[in-house]
This record gives sequence, structure tokens and C-alpha cells, in this order.
Amino acid sequence: MSLHPDIRMNLARSNVLLIDDNAQALDVLASIFRGFGVLRQVKCGSAAEAQTILRSREIDLIVCDTVMPDMDGYEFVRWLRREGPEEARFSPVIMLTGHAARSTVESSRDCGANFIVSKPFTPEVLLQRIYWVAKDERAMVRSDTYVGPDRRFRNIGPPLGVKGRRKDDLSTHVGAAKDPNMDQDEIDMLLKPQKAAL
Amino acid sequence: MSEAEVFKVRNRLAQHVTEPGGMTAGMANSRAGRELAAQQGRSYEAIGETLETLEWLCDTRDAPMDSVYDLSTQVLDIAGLFDDKQLCRAAYSLCELADKLRTRDEADWASIKLHVNGMRLIWNTEAAGRDNLNAMVEGLWALTDRLRVDDAGGEATPAD
Repeated sequence: MSLHPDIRMNLARSNVLLIDDNAQALDVLASIFRGFGVLRQVKCGSAAEAQTILRSREIDLIVCDTVMPDMDGYEFVRWLRREGPEEARFSPVIMLTGHAARSTVESSRDCGANFIVSKPFTPEVLLQRIYWVAKDERAMVRSDTYVGPDRRFRNIGPPLGVKGRRKDDLSTHVGAAKDPNMDQDEIDMLLKPQKAAL
Repeated sequence: MSEAEVFKVRNRLAQHVTEPGGMTAGMANSRAGRELAAQQGRSYEAIGETLETLEWLCDTRDAPMDSVYDLSTQVLDIAGLFDDKQLCRAAYSLCELADKLRTRDEADWASIKLHVNGMRLIWNTEAAGRDNLNAMVEGLWALTDRLRVDDAGGEATPAD
């Protein structure tokens, strides 16, 4: 399921925060986003640096590596969702993961990121996730144990312009009704118990 | 325990994405591909330097498994952005091995060395000639799978 190549997106005015302790990976990530047309990007080499940026700048999307010294990506997102600056607290977050260490499995599930993308990936996959995040209509949930996008499953279909994985998947937008409304008798007939021969 | 609160938030990214202008997904992907290609040389040099450090650790054999884990995640971190599946799979196997070993508080430098040699071989091989290396990568995974860790208790047991 890939993003249709004709879908138009404008990322020029979006402020994107990129966080990775590996300087080379950060440069590569920044170049991918430059290719996507992102003109306003801030690169941070640590979660602590990102915390400072979030206190002073408006950010529309956060892309964060998981494995980092001191504060890892999961801890950072947990901080963001619970104690982050009011303006940035519910900013969309895409996590990029390499290896899932045993000690981090639980925190990755509960950190509150919008999407987790596993490496290796292509720019197409990353762009698709950015599009999904932009179209993500999930509400936020705040509870004692979790703060982040609502994880309860509800089949609202794939976003407009994206093919579903199942053959009977309908897009979120099903369009206007083509047939006239049913009258009450027709509805009653549909609901009326029928005799069945067993 | 208090009741969960459910609420909607404003998504500024959604507003920006639909503004006039911008580019098609196809165009964005092509541009990103060109940007990636421009970064490839320097990035693979950085991977080579990380492999050098791993090779040195294999020679000295006294580093903690955390160091092996950190260095193998560095390889995965960069190679993963270039969709280098083979190098990532080998690096992932070393991450998994180092993670298991540190859980057991053990070291197995022979297996680590085989992984590093395998990653160096992949690094040195042009993409076109890499198909022959798939079996080698599977062999690295067989080494890693020998160690079994009981996730529930964190206690490790030897594989059957």
C-alpha cells in the first residue's frame, strides 16, 4: 500500500524537528526532508537539546530516533506528552526504530508516538507516514498510564487517495448517497422478524 | 485510578499540507532519492569507521556488550536510511546477539567477530553482487538464535 504519486502535499511551511544522536544519520534524515520540500527543519543531536527547542519554537512534526544516550526516544516522547510545553505537547511524533531491545519493548508500546517506522525504510514509506500523520484524526487520550493518540481500534478505512489492504476496505470519505432515502415502511420491512424454516 | 480523558487537538501539520503549492508525492520521492544519493558516500564511510571500531573491540576483547550494542545500532541507524536490507539484517542480528549477551552478563567474541566480518564483507560488496551473501546473513542469525532468553524473567538459558 503506497501513497499515490499524484497526491499533492505542501510541507514548505511545516516546522519539523529531527532528533538523532548519530550526526551522519541526522544529516541523511535532514536531506530526505529537504527532498520532501521541508524548508524549516531543526536538527537536534540529543533529546535534551530537543527539549530546549520545544520551549522556544513552534513545531508541527517531530521525527525522533529511539536509541539515544541519556534520554532515549521513548522517554523523550513520554516527557513530551506529560510535561512538554503546552503548545508542543500533542505535536505529531514519528519514531524511527532500529533494534528493539528487550528493555524497551514496553516503553515503545506506551510512549505515545503517532507512528513507529522500522529501519530499513525508503523515503516513500516515510512520506506515506507523514501523510498519514497529517490526516490522522484520532483523538488524544490522557490517563494515569498513557498519554497519546487513541489506540482503540476503529475501522474508519484508509485515508482518501490511499488504497486499502483488504479488498472490501472503503475510504474514510464514501461520498454522497446516490440512491433516494428509504421510507419508513422499507426500513420496517428490513427490521421485521421473518419466519424461518429450520 | 482516575478516568481517561479523550479530547481533540489541532493538527497544524494537516493545515500546512493542504495549502496551495507544494509538490506531488512522486516528485517528493524522486527529490528525496537524489538527496539520499548525494549523502551515500559519506554515510558509508561513517559505517566503515564504525566497523573499524568494532573490529578493534573484537581484537581487544575487553569491551562491555553495551559498546558492541551501541556500535551495531549505529550501523543500523545509517544503513536503515538507505534501505540497505542486507547490512541492516546483519547489524540487527549483532544488536540482538549483544542484547542477549548483556542480559546473560556474558561475552561471545567469536560470534561477534563473525558478525563484524560479515558486515564488512557486505559493506565491501557492490549491490549487484550481494545475492550470494544472503546465506551468510542467515548463518549470522543462526548464531544469534542459539542463545535463548526467557523474556518473562529476563533470565537466559542455553538454546536446545
